[in-house]
Amino acid sequence: MSAQYAMIIDSSRCIDCRACVAACKVANKVPEGFWRNWVKQSLPVPVAGKPGRGHFQPGACMHCEKPSCVTACPTGATYKDASDGIVKIDPKLCIGCGNCIPACPYGARYRDPVRRIADKCNYCPERRAQGLAPACVDTCPTKARVFGDVNDPESEAGRLLRANTNRLVRVVNTKTDTQPHMYYLAATAPLDWPAEAVIRPPMAALIKAVTPGVSALVGLAAVGVAVMAGREFLAGKSKDHEPRDRS
Amino acid sequence: MPDQSHRRLTRRSFLKAACAGTALAAAAGQTKVLSGLVAEAGAAAAPWQSKFSACDMCFNRCGLIARVENGVVTKLDPNPKFLKSRGMLCAKGNAGIAQLYDPNRLKYPLKRVGARGEGKWQRIGWDEALDLAASKMKEIGEKHTRCGMWFTAGSDLQSQFVTRFAEVYGSFNVTSHESLCLLSNNRAFLDTFGEVPFADVLNSKYILMAGANRFEALVTPDSIDLMTAMREKGAKLVVLDPRYTKTAALADEWYPIRPGTDMAFMLALSHVIITENLYDAAWVAEKTSGLEELAAHVARYNPEWAEAECGVPAADIRRIARELAAAAPEAMVYPGRRSSDYENSTQIRRSFAIVNALLANWDRPGGLLGAREVGLKKPGYDAPWYDDNPPERADAGRAPMMFEEDGSYVLMREAVLSGEPYPVKGWFVFKTNPMQTAPDQGKTRRMIDTLDFMVVVDITMSDTAYLADLILPAPSYLERCDPATALQGSSACACVVQRDPVVPALFESRPVFDILKGLAGRLDLAEFFDFDIETYRAQQLAGLTGAKEALEQDGVYYNPSKVYGIYEGRIYKTLSQRIELFNKRYDQMGLDPLPVYSPPKKGPDKALRLVVGRSAIHTQSSTQDNALLNELEPTNALWLNPADAAGLNVADGEAVEVASSAGKGRLPARVTPDVPPGLVYMATGFGSISPTLTHIHGNGCSIASLLADGYDAISGNAALHETFVTVTRSAS
Repeated sequence: MSAQYAMIIDSSRCIDCRACVAACKVANKVPEGFWRNWVKQSLPVPVAGKPGRGHFQPGACMHCEKPSCVTACPTGATYKDASDGIVKIDPKLCIGCGNCIPACPYGARYRDPVRRIADKCNYCPERRAQGLAPACVDTCPTKARVFGDVNDPESEAGRLLRANTNRLVRVVNTKTDTQPHMYYLAATAPLDWPAEAVIRPPMAALIKAVTPGVSALVGLAAVGVAVMAGREFLAGKSKDHEPRDRS
Repeated sequence: MPDQSHRRLTRRSFLKAACAGTALAAAAGQTKVLSGLVAEAGAAAAPWQSKFSACDMCFNRCGLIARVENGVVTKLDPNPKFLKSRGMLCAKGNAGIAQLYDPNRLKYPLKRVGARGEGKWQRIGWDEALDLAASKMKEIGEKHTRCGMWFTAGSDLQSQFVTRFAEVYGSFNVTSHESLCLLSNNRAFLDTFGEVPFADVLNSKYILMAGANRFEALVTPDSIDLMTAMREKGAKLVVLDPRYTKTAALADEWYPIRPGTDMAFMLALSHVIITENLYDAAWVAEKTSGLEELAAHVARYNPEWAEAECGVPAADIRRIARELAAAAPEAMVYPGRRSSDYENSTQIRRSFAIVNALLANWDRPGGLLGAREVGLKKPGYDAPWYDDNPPERADAGRAPMMFEEDGSYVLMREAVLSGEPYPVKGWFVFKTNPMQTAPDQGKTRRMIDTLDFMVVVDITMSDTAYLADLILPAPSYLERCDPATALQGSSACACVVQRDPVVPALFESRPVFDILKGLAGRLDLAEFFDFDIETYRAQQLAGLTGAKEALEQDGVYYNPSKVYGIYEGRIYKTLSQRIELFNKRYDQMGLDPLPVYSPPKKGPDKALRLVVGRSAIHTQSSTQDNALLNELEPTNALWLNPADAAGLNVADGEAVEVASSAGKGRLPARVTPDVPPGLVYMATGFGSISPTLTHIHGNGCSIASLLADGYDAISGNAALHETFVTVTRSAS
């Protein structure tokens, strides 16, 4: 079986210290105002004498089984690597059209203002090449994030996944269930934040017109068209490139 | 440093090892390959060099590994062998790079040329700078005796050299940052157990936390161990805090106790524990003194009385007392750290310590632990004697149990301002920023105006540096060689870390050690600084077999020593040589030998009590201008209860004017039920006056501009929560 790298998150351990956010920004040179990962909060009005009701939820690109960003990408720059299950961006193919950004229900993507291409979590390949965990995982004080190949029963992530099959939570928007490979253990909150994926009409039409098997090829062939379309989108929809709410 | 890539612990196995109390075994036997993470590992050599260091973004000093590419530090990672931090590096630690490469850093010595506070500076060379400082110190010493110079050093591995310099120069007047922090808590535990304990949070089953916010104000390993104990070992966390902190939000139970009434709650716990015979009678009889006096003392402090004072229901107080006692001795009233809150803070914290003593939460797993010997030597020196010096410190005689070695910032400031008992006219400040962290900024400013000479050594131009006559640029911790330091924390470790430069010092920055050495040479004191840090470190480590090698190999040295039962057969360092429920020395000095409750002061009509605290993103006032941390937490706001906000006609996010007896400020309101009516909160370190701190200059409001200058009557520690403010909607 090929690998599926994933994150198993015990959000009940998260203290919202945002070490993961800082570590990611440094490791990946994420430009000011942008983020590859986040900690979301659920802080209902407190009740004296009762258990605290706060819950903090670390997140990032979920490297989905059915990634809507891949569907939205006109050039094939965004793809799910069959060998390791990681959703990747090929910088040589990305034209910076920004279609993938609203296509992601989780706000995991941004357009790098310097390189002018899409960017997001890639599980720190440079670190893994040296046997190090992704920066967010390595630095986490309470070890809320566990990373590994969930298809490998020997890995910590695989073991956790198997040991908790009945209490795994995937945070999704039911209208666009992308089947994330980001697994939360037991109750996590907040749950209501993923948006419905927005696949932009020209691309949706383009992609619908062909069978899934050849969509990537057609996508590649359509690069010229897409570049023009992309420029049009950027001119008209600049707010899509603003940083997303990281609450 | 050897290649780490194949010898890393997995995160869980690492934690488990630490949990099992087998710290040393884990440190020695880290063999398990990071499972599943090496799929992409090829033959490629690491693109970086790896160098050990110890973080300096707060006081915890977490061991880390700096990754250096082409001479540039590109990433700071936790050192997995550094057990005290449980192999983590927090947001601040990660932002050490932003401190190193901060464009707002001081780059060369600056001499003030305009009026004080005008911000006009002249770049000068190091020789001129040191000549100037030395001549001023000589002048002040001759005119006012050498005690006319005051030395203040923040928390830093080189601060010991500031103390050394002050002593050989001849001044008693040295203050640490600690009289704005934890001295009353230290005082209380020292005056109960004879030493300041470490909390064995990891092995505790029941943790009662008051006056501490461990999930935001990170203390290693306590913050991490608290979560491990709760989630993996079923420990219960009960939090008393007027504010709904993140610690409260994650607690098993939270009570918004009325501010300043923790002692009422703790005395009632003692009342229940004694009246219901819930204490370990044999242990208490063997180890403690004063049970009879305590029993008589707390007879009147029943839970119903406490409820009326602190607002926590009597039934809950009674139940918590029983639960705590049932879990004891694997239980604790957590001692906390910063206790610069009330004017009777030592007595408040004594009431915490007494509950722990009654329940025998001491020297055993899950309770409070005594310090272990690490074995680091302190190279000695014979300081000269100056006959003309006054008999004692300028801040002496005002707080009866002030720590001689730490002094009291608030009381020293009074002494300088009044010129009594003798003139203090010079101030040497290293890496601490009382203009932002000490109460009553206006008073600090007026005090500075009375000085003949003030020199500040720091990395950036802090608000304190901004008022100096001379500013000397210091390197960050990644650029210097530092002495070894011993660290402790619960059962995690008794260890040593040190620092070597990860990269050469940038700009013209010089470590404070080099500065002091330069001054010593100019003041005929060269013989006391006739060494370098490498030599000093060798002396520190002498006799610790394998320490040098361990520091080179692992970045940390552990000294195996007994964790529990270290008091078997030992006496306690108190007058009675026992754990003192009843403090004999206090009794002799005319202080309350048992904590006597007095209700917190009431503010003027419609005034709100201001409290301050920490988030996990910033350290005191030293990180708010750090580009990365500022991005995570860019400003501060005044937390205001919706009921108070409605009464003041203030909406969430609107600017408010805040005024106290000390001063005023302006910042946005954050309308939130996370503070109770009558209480407001704001974070430290914003609203800077120094224009070079571009992220925080004029952004938000400084706590120092509002806090009134009370102090703990026993220790002289600042009392930061005795301030009342009025809040009005901002006109503009």
